[in-house]
Amino acid sequence: MAAAIEVLNVTKKFPSQKGASGFKEWLVRLPKNALKPNPYFTALDSVSYSVQKGECVGIIGKNGAGKSTMLSLLLGTSHPTQGEIKVEGKRTPLLELGAGFHPDLTGLENIYLNAVLLGLTRKQVTARLDQMIAFSEIEEFINQPVRTYSSGMYIRLAFSIAIHTDPEILLIDEIMAVGDESFQKKSGKALTDLIQSGVTTVFVSHNLSAVRQICNRSIWLDHGKIRMEGSPETVTQAYLDDSKPKASQEA
Amino acid sequence: MAFSHNFQRRLDLIILLTQKEFALKYKRTFLGIFWSILNPILLAVVFFAAFKVFMRFQINNYTFFLLSALFPWSWFSSSILISARSMVDNISLIKKVIFPRHYLVVSVIIAQLVHLVFAIPILLFFSYKDGTGPSMLWFVAIPILIGVQFIFTLGLCLMVSILNTYFRDIEYLVSVVMNLLFWMTPITYPISSIPPQFHFLLVINPLTGLMSAWRDLFQNNHFLWKETSISAVMAFLFLGAGIVVFKKMERRMDEVL
Repeated sequence: MAAAIEVLNVTKKFPSQKGASGFKEWLVRLPKNALKPNPYFTALDSVSYSVQKGECVGIIGKNGAGKSTMLSLLLGTSHPTQGEIKVEGKRTPLLELGAGFHPDLTGLENIYLNAVLLGLTRKQVTARLDQMIAFSEIEEFINQPVRTYSSGMYIRLAFSIAIHTDPEILLIDEIMAVGDESFQKKSGKALTDLIQSGVTTVFVSHNLSAVRQICNRSIWLDHGKIRMEGSPETVTQAYLDDSKPKASQEA
Repeated sequence: MAFSHNFQRRLDLIILLTQKEFALKYKRTFLGIFWSILNPILLAVVFFAAFKVFMRFQINNYTFFLLSALFPWSWFSSSILISARSMVDNISLIKKVIFPRHYLVVSVIIAQLVHLVFAIPILLFFSYKDGTGPSMLWFVAIPILIGVQFIFTLGLCLMVSILNTYFRDIEYLVSVVMNLLFWMTPITYPISSIPPQFHFLLVINPLTGLMSAWRDLFQNNHFLWKETSISAVMAFLFLGAGIVVFKKMERRMDEVL
């Protein structure tokens, strides 16, 4: 099997003084900056691993352990400070559903824009339009601007677009709870089908039982480093054992 | 197959982003797309009143003189002003979806180009009235001028849009600089009215050649090859600089947005 994702010694640092950027501040700080480097926060610290084609890897860890940073690096919306990431295949994010939607465009216009952003041509979108709309269950509102949608409709439409774009590598950030209960079942099944059909998946979650159910392998991130890597059962168990005593201390 | 799919997809993406740019501009307006035609006409009326009625410029056929450079200028200036915010306004797209980010800028420039295309019939009317044109030359010269100006505008827009993600001051600075540039470029006045000691200002301004070429084409049915070629060279230099700056700063954009 070939590797779909290879992460080699990746470090990602963020400048600590995020946002304090005006041209004046920059000029004022220039003499100081020349002498000492900016303070930074290390989100990921020399992380290496690879994901084989068709594998489903679950990344777990506490808040702020670097999981979301890892996903945005894999997606390519952010670049590593050091190290290298090789990704073989089309990346489909299921991160913040509906992030690419524009509230003033209609559902239909947003379908075209988002599906093309996710790698289809307009012709392909037209061919799959009925499927996408049917799956999202918002037939009668499809010509309304999405700002009039409920949050559930918004997410259902975004999810439906994403899974109908022939994903090769799925990058999932905690979205098992999509819409109401019946839609949750439907979306969960659609995802499991995709994963079982051989789509490479990286799955970031706090839901340990979901990780155990669908993943072949699990990685535990802790303070930007890989703490443990192995079968989902062992890793999630070790993670649970580690967080339990601390939890009782805090209580 | 894979190549043609990719090409088609990229083309579709630019088309859709341009459509979005265009659709959003007139969403929730009563007149909708008619604003694209109304805008240049109203602009013309304002300048006609200012220069012909109040300041009484002694130039024959001043309205045509003005519009033949003002419409191309509007394409340039609105592209720069809008693209200054094109990265900042699309944060969610940039942070959550991968696609070539410069498409956002390209789509702004194309959407603004549509306004120029809508304005060309007005110029056509004037030149027909004057009996100077239009002629076959227009079919060659207009695409060339659009191409050169597109390249120049794209280079600047790339720089402005990416710099504005790091320093939000840029968009305020840009609106002032655009105003200055407008009066430094012979649009409301002819080149001949500038004292010789300030001619160097015109030479270092790539827009001078471009605007003169537009005007000469529409008014005299004559194409300024030399000026256009010089502007083209400068346009490519600006594009090169724009690409370098954009590529360099794009890599760390996620840390500042």
